[in-house]
Amino acid sequence: MLDDNIYEAFEQIVGPENISQAPAIIDTYAFQWAAEVLNVLDGKPPARYYIRPAAVILPGSVEEVQGVVKVCNRYKISFKAFSTGLGPWNCVSSTNTVQIDLRRMNKIIKIDAKNMFAVIEPYVSGAQLQSETMKFGLNCGMPGAGPQVSPLASATSMCGMGFTSASTGFAGRSVLGVEWVLPSGELLHVGSIGITNDPDWFSGDGPGPSLRGIMRGFVGAKSGMGIFTKVAVKLYPFPCKPEWKVTGESPNYEFEIPNYLKLYVINYKNWDELANALRRFEEEEIGFMCYHLSASATLAGFAKTREELVTQLASHGRLKRPLTVMIGAQTEREFEYKKQVVEALIQETGGKDYTKKLKIRSISYAEGLRCMYGFHGFLITGAFQSTHGCMDNIDNSVHMAQLNAPLKKKFIKKGVIIDDQGDGLWLASFERGHMAHCEMPTMYNVNITESVEGFVEYANACDEMDLEEHLGLPFFILGDKKHEWAGPHCMNYHIWLRKIKESFDPQNIADPGFYISSKKES
Amino acid sequence: MTLELKKLADYKDIMERCIRCSMCKWIPQVQIKSWKYAQVCPSIDEYNFHAYSGGGRMIIALSLLTERIGYSEELLNIVYRCTACGACAVSCKYLNDLEPLEVIEALRKKIVEDGEGPLPAHKKYMKLTEEVHNPYGEEPSKRLDWLPSDIKVSKNSKLAYFVGCTTSYRRKEIAIATARIFNKAGVEFQLLGEDEFCCGSPILRAGGEAQVLDLIKRNIKAFKERGIETIVTSCAGCYSTLKADYPRYVKHDFKILHTSELLEQLLKEGKLKLKKEVPLTVTYHDPCHLGRCSEPYKEWHGEIMEPIPLVRFPVPPLPLRQGTYGCYYPPRNVLKAIPGLKLVEMERIKEYAYCCGAGGGVKAAFPDFALKTAGRRLEEAIDTGADTLVSCCPFCATNLQDAIKANNAPIKFYDLTELVLKAMED
Ligand SMILES: Cc1cc2nc3c(=O)[nH]c(=O)nc-3n(C[C@H](O)[C@H](O)[C@H](O)COP(=O)(O)OP(=O)(O)OC[C@H]3O[C@@H](n4cnc5c(N)ncnc54)[C@H](O)[C@@H]3O)c2cc1C
Ligand code: SF4
Ligand code: SF4
Repeated sequence: MLDDNIYEAFEQIVGPENISQAPAIIDTYAFQWAAEVLNVLDGKPPARYYIRPAAVILPGSVEEVQGVVKVCNRYKISFKAFSTGLGPWNCVSSTNTVQIDLRRMNKIIKIDAKNMFAVIEPYVSGAQLQSETMKFGLNCGMPGAGPQVSPLASATSMCGMGFTSASTGFAGRSVLGVEWVLPSGELLHVGSIGITNDPDWFSGDGPGPSLRGIMRGFVGAKSGMGIFTKVAVKLYPFPCKPEWKVTGESPNYEFEIPNYLKLYVINYKNWDELANALRRFEEEEIGFMCYHLSASATLAGFAKTREELVTQLASHGRLKRPLTVMIGAQTEREFEYKKQVVEALIQETGGKDYTKKLKIRSISYAEGLRCMYGFHGFLITGAFQSTHGCMDNIDNSVHMAQLNAPLKKKFIKKGVIIDDQGDGLWLASFERGHMAHCEMPTMYNVNITESVEGFVEYANACDEMDLEEHLGLPFFILGDKKHEWAGPHCMNYHIWLRKIKESFDPQNIADPGFYISSKKES
Repeated sequence: MTLELKKLADYKDIMERCIRCSMCKWIPQVQIKSWKYAQVCPSIDEYNFHAYSGGGRMIIALSLLTERIGYSEELLNIVYRCTACGACAVSCKYLNDLEPLEVIEALRKKIVEDGEGPLPAHKKYMKLTEEVHNPYGEEPSKRLDWLPSDIKVSKNSKLAYFVGCTTSYRRKEIAIATARIFNKAGVEFQLLGEDEFCCGSPILRAGGEAQVLDLIKRNIKAFKERGIETIVTSCAGCYSTLKADYPRYVKHDFKILHTSELLEQLLKEGKLKLKKEVPLTVTYHDPCHLGRCSEPYKEWHGEIMEPIPLVRFPVPPLPLRQGTYGCYYPPRNVLKAIPGLKLVEMERIKEYAYCCGAGGGVKAAFPDFALKTAGRRLEEAIDTGADTLVSCCPFCATNLQDAIKANNAPIKFYDLTELVLKAMED
């Protein structure tokens, strides 16, 4: 509970209807996807609730956000902001923290079709933005989490990869101008919106101050560096005719696949073939989407129900190392060309076109365009999390998957995580060429304590492996404990990270729980 | 999901599996066509805290069940500021199998069982229903006051027109239009008059399970005594209650039809002739209880299996109510058969239609919230360019017309039956 005077100070800024510390309200903010993992990491039972915030505040404008942050500074209360709020990193890390839910800031400020960018507020979802940019023949990037989450959050504060990263880049590369409320409550405009004469949102790095690296770094500061209230994100050409017609009733939807769009699932026998194929497809810059998911996860991406998936798993044993590619074109001629390139690449790389065997529904095309395959990861048990995580080259990712398989199998044998034959890997290319994002999703059963605890033990072992085998810093290294453990192995980056935090937020007003705190190294 | 009546505790596993993904705040993602009409939950649209979403209410239910929170005024407000429209459940179940609406209903029942609720406004209409068999407190003897003297009513038809309390006492124009159409199309029908008791919908939505059981038994007895085989209603609330809810309490084999279904049938059989031009551009509002909430519950006999270690699920699959088989096309087909009438669709339709804002006891307990939601729906209707909004439910009709008045909105409202009657008039 906040002291009355503090509560009133917040209330004066946002109005009584936009603040609450009622248990029934704040308890819903302690409940998060994978909160049980946080609890086990803290040595507690795997409860679905993490820490309750002291209050929840719903500001409606940048001025209100600034006001709230200033009150936090005045009374030494931490804040934790989120946009659409999916994931354990949205939880507060201490009870002396207010949760700032940015739901009321939900406008698309502008779509600049000529210069191919859109300016958005935190609670604009990917699907909302895409449905509007499509009207200009343009597309936006969305994270693997799906179209219901916030492109602003991905751009400013998360890793931000997605299934379409082959053509939309990863979110960190899409950021242009940014409006940023610093942990002190001051307002900072980054990039070309920060210049005095004729400011506009078209660039993130200049003219104007360039602080992209400090603002988000590798995987974002998770609200540990303040609050982003507007961001300009790059837009990209819509891959095919920007038409969207879905018929039927949920969940039996049909999509009128627009001209010109085609999905391929190409089967490779082994890792080497797959790595080579991914590289070659990207060199030819042919796919709107180009990724590898383990065979079981690929099947999950196209399945509608758990039961269907289980049947599919039994009948597609020959699917080994699939590569999923979606191509799109604006004209028949371009489409023909792309199809021929794909055929030639399949031949060259020794793949087998497996698409027809899968009987992919038309709606899977819509889900592909709208970045929805990742959400199918919840189909089987309702719970999964990723381990490892790098944005390096394709070979490093494949090497990581190969090293990880025996470790994963050990935990499968223990019966604590779901059997995917040790394979689970998501490998998504970005920036054309040899770069790829890689993470290893693992399913567990959220209703079974041993399963959650077993998953956490496995996740810790994966982290160890990343360091021991020099695979790179895993992206779920969050918070002091993990950074201080990993830093000494990685050029003491944590000291620099902490210096950044200290210079912007010496008092840890921006909740450092999923970033790093400004305290001196312990 | 199944016929079996469950307690809140039976949903614990489901509640624990909520991902907090927020899909339940939006229409199904593949249906989103604009920034403006992407959201689907009237409650979170108004109150904004996560607790006010379908997923948020599942968390609250779990918190209450596991005694993390206790009863409070705030809790009751959250639980009842929800129109029980079921849109959250459709969006969640596009890719998941959780049951936010069933949890909300089970939570309300628990609140009533624990003696902590419902809210005073609900208690008032529950008491009135007990006393005079309708939630408005109107005299039972006036139930047929709407009936014009020139309407022919049968005494022994096997088909009954179940008028419903709202139509009988508040939206008489719908009852009159329905009865006139039936007469003109040669459909013989009985009226139960004073013997028609409230179907129980408003009580059930507020969590009053025990009271509703009496009403169900009472109404079923009345139907049987009169030899009724088919019950036609022009009210979406009565329709879903009779069709989907009654069999969960008392099995019955009456055929339940909404007027739109009967009219569609009559058109097909050539018994209904629509000849007169009705030169209107209309848009159609799907009532939640005619659409997604009208799907019957199904029997399920099976067990939880673990075909892959840690992967537990019901075999055979549980029958899910996903809004797939709601009554969406009959009203549209009838509208399309009216000469001169142009039907234009809103963005949120059928199983992902936006609620009018009245249901779930909201109109009684939170009239301002109900009106605001209706205002949002009106905006969407007006954006289609339609001059007329049409629906098939007296409760939607009341709330939407209240909002038209309050906002001085440039759109007219008609019930489907009123337009059909216009097209029939010589
Ligand atoms: C199926 C699935 C697949 C996923 N795949 C990917 C993936 O491909 N790539 C990826 O990057 N992630 C992925 N994730 C994780 C995912 O990115 C996040 O869960 C999700 O994008 C964040 O959701 P959000 O947009 O709702 O942001 P939020 O949950 O609102 O925020 C995410 C983080 O950013 C902070 N934040 C949000 N908004 C602001 C703001 N305005 N100012 C300051 N801080 C803010 C929050 O505190 C939080 O720590 C996946 C998750 C799922 C469930
Ligand atoms: S109820 Fe369903 S849609 Fe809503 S947050 Fe939970 S899992 Fe997601
Ligand atoms: S039933 Fe309707 S109002 Fe209630 S939570 Fe679900 S979508 Fe919202």
